[in-house]
Amino acid sequence: MALEQRTNGIKVQSEHNRDDDWSTLLLLVGSKRDRAAFERLFHHFAPLIKGFHYSRSHQAMSPEAADELVQEVMFRVWRKAPSFDARKASASTWIYTIMRNCRIDYLRRNSRHLTESDIEVDDIWDETPDSQPFAVLQQRRNERDIAEGLRNLPAEQSHVLEKAYMEGKSHSEISQELGLPLGTVKSRVRLALKKLQGALKRPE
Amino acid sequence: MIRHHPEKDMMLEYAAGTLPWALGLAVAAHLQLCPRCRQQHEQLNVIGGSLLQDSDCEQPDEGAFERLMKRIDRSAAESAPAEMKQSEANSRLPADPALVNLPRVIRKLVADNLPLKWQRVSPALKMTRLNTGQEQYEVAFHRIRRGGRTAEHDHRGQEVILVLHGRFSDADGVYVPGDFLVRRPGEIHRPIATEDQECLCFSVVEAPVAVTGVLGWLVNPFLSFRPG
Repeated sequence: MALEQRTNGIKVQSEHNRDDDWSTLLLLVGSKRDRAAFERLFHHFAPLIKGFHYSRSHQAMSPEAADELVQEVMFRVWRKAPSFDARKASASTWIYTIMRNCRIDYLRRNSRHLTESDIEVDDIWDETPDSQPFAVLQQRRNERDIAEGLRNLPAEQSHVLEKAYMEGKSHSEISQELGLPLGTVKSRVRLALKKLQGALKRPE
Repeated sequence: MIRHHPEKDMMLEYAAGTLPWALGLAVAAHLQLCPRCRQQHEQLNVIGGSLLQDSDCEQPDEGAFERLMKRIDRSAAESAPAEMKQSEANSRLPADPALVNLPRVIRKLVADNLPLKWQRVSPALKMTRLNTGQEQYEVAFHRIRRGGRTAEHDHRGQEVILVLHGRFSDADGVYVPGDFLVRRPGEIHRPIATEDQECLCFSVVEAPVAVTGVLGWLVNPFLSFRPG
């Protein structure tokens, strides 16, 4: 694991290294079905997955539902680990997409609008890496820039992103909850994305 | 070249997993045709990954890891999940030139809706409704014959259109495969297919469409709203 560093510049570096460590563990789980590596991943990610959906700051789910979701997400992480490609995404981004799809499944099972169909969540939210040539280095740099940019967003902008991603709220639900016009929510989202994407175009 | 893409807030709702199922289908099909939006989608996933990495930690329930490993051992004893349903689905697709180059999610949708029953809406327009596993939105294919003109219509709800084959034009421009259009209530339009080939579109409609022409009710495909 990466060494803890105090100075600001190096701290970013060590966070990046830490994420590389999780990727390495994930690769071990995928290629060698390494249970010790999986256990370390579990102890790191399970509390984050639960906290993402249930914590002091927000309760998008009951604690029981969040625990069930942890089980399902980590089960799929184990099963899908052989398809994890560390060049295309970090461990946390890859696990995020699995978690999001599990949550859609969970909400769908409890929905009244469900009808019989062969179409599955993974068909619509399909994260199969495409075969096109890919700027790998660029992608890893993007990951760091977005993570850092996210921490530097004004609170009102990061707040709407958290509501969308963590509480699973649509823009219109967010506008109702915060008592803001829908247009304001959308423009906050756009401003936030513009800032995050601006961070990506920063000169070297 | 694709010139019309989903707006950023729809892309965000898709990446966050809050976009309704039927709209998610349209965005997914667009992504499978549009490398630019695929890249943007990956960036939006990174936001999710960063929020996960920065979440408050909540300890899972007692014995969670042991419970999970038991489940993993049980599932290893059973047979591996069947993969490659896709190629099986492909072999069942009808030999229809408009359905040859579909994005994989639409191919699977077609395979799940066979045989397609095309209804003649007007001399220029045929449509078939598609079951997608939800009943909030009406999802359908529309095909306009070469050079065909459809009736001018308005929308009571939002309509998303993805061009899949051929081209069509309206007062605002010409649309090609991969173009993703959103028509809001009050936006009257009258699609016309180009002369060279027929045009196939995938559409997701929130509410029935109103036809604005005097005799429009005769040709309105959406007067009977049957979600699927």
